[in-house]
Amino acid sequence: MYVLGISCYYHDSSAALLKDGVIVAAAEEERFTRKKHDSSFPLNAITYCLKSQGITIKDVAHVGFYEKPFLKFERVLSQHLEMFPKSFKTFLSSTPSWLNEKLRVLRTIRKKLKYTRGVMFIQHHMAHAASTFLPSPYEKAAILTIDGVGEWTTTAWGVGEGNNIVLHEDIRFPHSIGLLYSTITAYLGFSVNNSEYKVMGLAPYGDMNRETNPFYKKLRKVIDIKEDGSFRLDLSYFIFHYADRMPSKKMCKLLGGPIAKRDTTMTKRHQDIAAALQLVTEEVITKLLISLHKKTKLDSVVLAGGVALNSVYNGKILRSTPFKNIWVQPNASDGGTSIGVALYIYNTLLNKKRVYHLHDAYLGPSYTTAQVKRFLDKNKINYTTFASDKELVETTAKLVATNHVVGWFQKGMEWGPRALGARSILASPCNPEAKELLNEKVKHREKFRPFAPVVCEDDALTYFESDKPVPEPTDFMLMVYPVVKKWRTAIPSVTHVDGSGRLQTIRRAQNPLYYDILKAFGKHTGVPIMINTSFNIRGEPIVCSPYDAYKCMMGTGIDYLVMDKFLIKRDDNPQDKWDSEQYAKD
Amino acid sequence: MKSFLLGFKKGFKLFSENIALIVNVVLLTFVYVIGIGITSLVAKLFGKHFMAMRLDKKKKTYWEKLELKKESMDSYYRQF
Repeated sequence: MYVLGISCYYHDSSAALLKDGVIVAAAEEERFTRKKHDSSFPLNAITYCLKSQGITIKDVAHVGFYEKPFLKFERVLSQHLEMFPKSFKTFLSSTPSWLNEKLRVLRTIRKKLKYTRGVMFIQHHMAHAASTFLPSPYEKAAILTIDGVGEWTTTAWGVGEGNNIVLHEDIRFPHSIGLLYSTITAYLGFSVNNSEYKVMGLAPYGDMNRETNPFYKKLRKVIDIKEDGSFRLDLSYFIFHYADRMPSKKMCKLLGGPIAKRDTTMTKRHQDIAAALQLVTEEVITKLLISLHKKTKLDSVVLAGGVALNSVYNGKILRSTPFKNIWVQPNASDGGTSIGVALYIYNTLLNKKRVYHLHDAYLGPSYTTAQVKRFLDKNKINYTTFASDKELVETTAKLVATNHVVGWFQKGMEWGPRALGARSILASPCNPEAKELLNEKVKHREKFRPFAPVVCEDDALTYFESDKPVPEPTDFMLMVYPVVKKWRTAIPSVTHVDGSGRLQTIRRAQNPLYYDILKAFGKHTGVPIMINTSFNIRGEPIVCSPYDAYKCMMGTGIDYLVMDKFLIKRDDNPQDKWDSEQYAKD
Repeated sequence: MKSFLLGFKKGFKLFSENIALIVNVVLLTFVYVIGIGITSLVAKLFGKHFMAMRLDKKKKTYWEKLELKKESMDSYYRQF
């Protein structure tokens, strides 16, 4: 039995296909349309999902959508009713898309997919909860979902047991930790629903001490946090509930200046604001989790929603709360709800036994050796072919060890925002200049942002002060841990200013070639850790196809591309006119 | 002739888009002032709020009951 889950029309639209209880394909629309965070109907992602199984929409038993559109529209109308006449401008700008698109999703699904049966609508936070509990390794777990907003809910807690999920309580719009984070993101001059992770990366440069950070006490004024972690925002500091901007003038006054312009150089003040925001966020989530543990008395917790991508805090959860186990799916924000919808329909609504655990994130399009070769030959690209996997591993490890930047294209594209060894750029963390080289020649991104290390799971505890055993979400780059002090100078390019690293752990069963390269790299350098950064430039989605990968390499300073069993050297091929710099934006 | 027709088509498209925009703005303004505005003003007269806007320092918790769980299959085919 096939079940198709769809999410779209907010940000990061996606599709996921389930076959007999197992997610067999999932992808975000942005990877196909090449528009970052594309929110349009995910026709390309759906087409990929169906093609990957050699089926048509007629073979799909159920189609589900990730929210109840009319409930969400009720909330939008409530905003206008409450905020009349201040909301006039947003009413004019947002109502057409509601009338033409968002309230017609059933018609769109039927028309675009030629699907004739009913579509199931799952509430947004239930889709989040299902996306993290049902593919988790736990039979019973506490659930916490935190995002910007769904229909009404912004934060919810519940319990998952077997096939069932109950969400007991929630906090409703406009009170939202996700929207608080987005408001400060906007205040610092970054784009909302895109750059929240940059603020997280900026925070360690600021003062992470509550007593001395000059903005912590100020930011505590904008939120009332109860002992059980429930909270409300002081709305006089915000205008997102009636305007298309987020911070109010009062917020600007509180933080001592106007909204930063895009690409403003971050000063100590900006860094301290980012740090204060991270401190407040951590304070809320810690209280929420301690209270959740008291209520459920369970050892395991699963998280979902955009806030669950806050890897800095995720890495602290097992140390600062009574929970003993944690699981987060790789695509924890809205894009990930499509797998939640598919699993919820199959496991919960149809009451079928859970048979799936999400071990790896390689759910996107993959290309056979013949397909890659056809692409290279057709485009007259010069390449060499590895005689064996051993040669591939040895050569790639040696290239990285000799400070070359290598594009790495293997397996199915990753599900979620992180490159995890299928569409990655690899470089040596031992090279102190690697960070600047990657930033200037390839990624074109802000200098304060750190690069992430990848390490074999069995080596992780040697180099990182991780929880023991290393939690599974570390495989999805969702946990930040301190680098062991004596290794910090050995791997400067992946050690953040506070001595931490946003590591990815890899187990051989997930991706044997990637694992073997790390081990081989370790033999060359003495440190089995590499830089793993997403195969894209700033402003572009991660590459999907061989064409995207080749184009990205030729437009940047990537030296080599290892694609399937082929090695392509940039200097051996005519330089494309394509200049990545012009695409490098937020 | 071909370029004239193409230009005419392009111009007409632009014209129709502008007309649609004007009609949209006029209609939506009417709906906003009459529908949203009057309802909002009447509600405010009676002290009705459509969202929880204020902090309540006396409250022990801001959690609200949800109890969202598996419902009848029919309910999932509804968009509300």
